Amino acid sequence: MSTDILTISAAAALIKAGKLSPVELTEMCLARVKAYEPELHAFVTLTEDRARADAKKAEAQIKASGPTSPLHGIPIGLKDIIDTKGILTTCQSAHNIGNVPDTDATCAAALDAAGTVLMGKLTTHEFADGGPSFDLPWPPSRNPWNTQRFTAGSSSGTGAAVAAGLVLGGLGTDTGGSIRGPAALCGIVGLKPTYGLVSRAGVAPAAYSLDHIGPMAWTTEDCALMLQALAGHDPADPASANRPVPDYTAGLGKGAKGLKVGVLSRWHETDRPVAPAVKAGIDAAIATYESLGAEIVEIKLSAMQEYTAAGFFISTVERGAAYERMMLKNPEKFGQRYRDRLVFAALCTGMDYVQALRRRRELIAEMAAAMAGVDVVLTAGNPDEAPPIDQVPRWDNLDKPNFTMAFNLTGMPAISVPSGFGPNGLPVAIQLAARPFGEAVLLQAAHAFEQATPWRQRRPAMLGLAEAA
Amino acid sequence: MPNPIASEAEMSAFLARAGFSLTPEQVAEYAEAYGYIVEMSARIRGERSYMAEPAHIFSFPTEEVAR
Repeated sequence: MSTDILTISAAAALIKAGKLSPVELTEMCLARVKAYEPELHAFVTLTEDRARADAKKAEAQIKASGPTSPLHGIPIGLKDIIDTKGILTTCQSAHNIGNVPDTDATCAAALDAAGTVLMGKLTTHEFADGGPSFDLPWPPSRNPWNTQRFTAGSSSGTGAAVAAGLVLGGLGTDTGGSIRGPAALCGIVGLKPTYGLVSRAGVAPAAYSLDHIGPMAWTTEDCALMLQALAGHDPADPASANRPVPDYTAGLGKGAKGLKVGVLSRWHETDRPVAPAVKAGIDAAIATYESLGAEIVEIKLSAMQEYTAAGFFISTVERGAAYERMMLKNPEKFGQRYRDRLVFAALCTGMDYVQALRRRRELIAEMAAAMAGVDVVLTAGNPDEAPPIDQVPRWDNLDKPNFTMAFNLTGMPAISVPSGFGPNGLPVAIQLAARPFGEAVLLQAAHAFEQATPWRQRRPAMLGLAEAA
Repeated sequence: MPNPIASEAEMSAFLARAGFSLTPEQVAEYAEAYGYIVEMSARIRGERSYMAEPAHIFSFPTEEVAR
């Protein structure tokens, strides 16, 4: 068996054909964990015994009656704000240093039911916001493409672990870009689904009305396979959508012919001009879609700053409300960067919050109208390559608009897809978004771009792998 | 970077109202951040009718309505 890193879909095909056992696959991942985790810090808790037990169980089931899903026997990891029964769930905070939940979050249970192998709990910013932090009980994750660089966050461990092949897929959460940011900077695919599509039950809140749980994996197809297992109604989540779940793989391989792609040039050209490598990726995506038979149109929305400002007040106040008691009782247990975010809540008024909600309704209507005429929207996801991990500004959520928050504010699905490399050899990405519950066409468009470009053939140099043919 | 627009006394009042007890140095740091927050608060305000409802206004699901 090759020691190259498999995608979920490739591993599933081998497992189904009897050419790879989940035990063998899990041992490959554990070997990479042993080799690279000391540098990457992707795990808060490595569940090695649980992984081996899950793998043996999956192997026995598959030998007896074949795989029950494409995720059967696949090693995965979960961001450490997702409750796991009997397993430490820290939210990377001294507040939760001994927290062992007695139930699984709905999303963790869904992946378990699909037969996945749980490798462990993955690094996050404290309570999913504010990092990188060097004053927490666990260090921040490092970027496998250059360990002196930031992974982005807050699903930082998931980004690093997937990029380095420590797991084949993982769960992140996204309140203002926390799936798509690490996906972009770590060179993987990250999907923030429509608000309400994946249950939030059992996941520590970052901001109730902006929180999303979603898959992060090496390819678009792998994200589709994971989303298939995750999507569905859950009465335990008050915002859970009760609607049929389509086949998210149905559009993969159908190309982009006939799709209408809206380009949001204003955001990446005027509101926050992006680095040349990021712009080159967007231009390449436009050219690729044109060559595949898609129609390109320009769409216009309000300045990105409008979306960021409304999202700032809503996320800040909802976060403050969620963690107010902890902050007042034991503020010293928080790291400085998360404490900053909680102090910001004290600087926002009740009127700020309600005005932000009123603005949110207007911006949702604006974006819905703009998207009515297109299948997907194309913009940047992150303005540049990963910065040095020790040079992330303290007020980085205050002084610049962000490309991802708009789709948390409007609840619409969005995906980060690798689009090349910058001058420092670090990954850059495009961001695509679609109408609510438009994940199938979003994945179709992302997959078409991915298949037309070579960016899935290179892994981080630290792994010492040859570039795939 | 915006100029701090709140005095130390005003900042302290905000923070005390929320129950926070911070050092003068910390209050001064957050005064810098407060300038950004005030800038953003202007963006979410505008001419709109009182009929412009917040996004979280809700309707009852069909199954919860009395028969």
